[in-house]
Amino acid sequence: MVAFIGMLMLGGISPIEAAQTLISGSLGSPRAISGSLKETTPLLLAGLGVFFALRAGLFNIGIEGQFLLGGFASALVALAVPGPVGLLLAMVAGVVAGALWALPAGWIRAYRNGHEVITTIMLNSVAIALTDFLVAGPVRAANQTGATTATIPTSGRLQALLNSPPWNVNSGLLLGLLLCAAMAWWMKRRVAGYELQAVGANASAAEFAGINVAKVRMNAMLVSGGIGGLGGAIQTLAFEGRFYQGFSPGYGFDSLGVALLAGSNALLVVPMSLLFGVLSKGGTSLLILGVPKGLTNLVAGLVILISATIRYRKAAADA
Amino acid sequence: MLNTVLLTLSMATPLVLAAMAGYCSERSGVINIGLEGKMLMAACVSALVSVSHGPVLGVLAGILAAVVMSLVHWLATQRFGIDHVISGMSLNAISAGATNFMFTRFSDPDRSGRIGTLPPLFYQACAVIAPVALILYVGKTRGGLWLVASGSDPEKARLAGLQPDRIRLFALVATGLFCGLAGAYLVADTGVFTDNMTAGRGYIALAALILGGWRVGQTALACLAFGFLSSLNLLFQGTQLGGFNLPSEFWTSLPYLATVIALAGFLGKQRTPAGLGKT
Repeated sequence: MVAFIGMLMLGGISPIEAAQTLISGSLGSPRAISGSLKETTPLLLAGLGVFFALRAGLFNIGIEGQFLLGGFASALVALAVPGPVGLLLAMVAGVVAGALWALPAGWIRAYRNGHEVITTIMLNSVAIALTDFLVAGPVRAANQTGATTATIPTSGRLQALLNSPPWNVNSGLLLGLLLCAAMAWWMKRRVAGYELQAVGANASAAEFAGINVAKVRMNAMLVSGGIGGLGGAIQTLAFEGRFYQGFSPGYGFDSLGVALLAGSNALLVVPMSLLFGVLSKGGTSLLILGVPKGLTNLVAGLVILISATIRYRKAAADA
Repeated sequence: MLNTVLLTLSMATPLVLAAMAGYCSERSGVINIGLEGKMLMAACVSALVSVSHGPVLGVLAGILAAVVMSLVHWLATQRFGIDHVISGMSLNAISAGATNFMFTRFSDPDRSGRIGTLPPLFYQACAVIAPVALILYVGKTRGGLWLVASGSDPEKARLAGLQPDRIRLFALVATGLFCGLAGAYLVADTGVFTDNMTAGRGYIALAALILGGWRVGQTALACLAFGFLSSLNLLFQGTQLGGFNLPSEFWTSLPYLATVIALAGFLGKQRTPAGLGKT
């Protein structure tokens, strides 16, 4: 917070004015709130993906790549198959694409003992290059000048949950909330959920207790990637209606912050993604004040670093 | 032919410098995915200071910025016990945000033309000297042995009377120094600072380090190979190779794909330092 105000002062902008703009731009009107909720949706889903892997002790930095592939695959399927059937198939395609993109990282972590962070960083870069190439060439819409797929007809998209202007909330958000509730229940009440978290807490103890650690890790990574892919699919089907170069403006990184701040409780992913959604929506209105877009990135990084420090301090005090 | 060689060398220079930065850090036991951010910060600061105070101070300021970032990483990982990956990621985000902020705020929009910098040859010389110096340091001196010891098994190093924390502090200062040079080189090479100008070079350097099995010589060779790849990409962009047009995205993906395959253990045995990330 201090750093935030300091940077604003350095930039010659009144912090009070900036805070006002940020809040009115993200929460000040029905339209602004709808916009914040729209930003929250991908963060919630990608955040859940990261969170799931994190509980198994895996750091899925590759959520960005899985999100991209999921969004891309769902756009292709939704364009090929029209109507509600296409919508369902497109979501499945998103999940499968995301899970497949996480597969190498999961396999290398589980059976080859290579660090998942490094593999997922590398796979992110490959995902960006791959989708950039495909969308600029082979699957580019014929009548478009930019690198984008054709637009999915409205009947093949996720419908609005509430559409009475100025309010507009898409059902994608509801899907995210349901998934979050299901995950919280699964982790608390199911044996598999307990095993997953046992592996995350202490892998060698879990192994000793008879849990197949490699298998749990492999599956955790696949599910995490699948959720990331679903996030991309919902982004395509609910908001964008197409896939294009630069589809994700860094949702992958922000969702890492969401999952880290949520700690050990899946339900906390909701308020944290809301926080980042509000920051991101408000950051856009700060652009008009002349605050560069990098500032929100900077704040997100600081928040993560500081919260991690505080958590460590607490853990050290308890011990 | 000569063209390709020169292009390869200039492409490989920042990679070698950044990979050596990663070598110092990871050999001492600190996971460092923040190379990208340190380079970017150094590039931005050196560009800004070069304009106002001349090239020599510009380079020094760039190095200082990268060293400061490195020290934050040291504090976060060694003093506050933050996960090395989380710290590295947030430092990358902070750099991306801060450089965007600083440059749009403090640079002079009316200014055009190149920023005055030290000649690129200076950095290329550094990129040749650094690996040689590191090989000698690690292979021939006591300090080098300590460095590797604290990265291979910090617990045993501690029992032998070393202080891994302190060794890592020095290692991370060296990391900052090399990242600073790598970042300043990018500005010297192009004559400008642009948003996110490192464009993944920090990650490619990390890839080279992994492919090289955390060994200096092999890592430098991997950097040269990656430099060669990107020069091929530039030279053959848009031309047909044997009737087949390979997209430039394919070339840019190759280093990353090679790293994933190497981590899967398909290219010889895994050589990750045993104490990486341990306290």
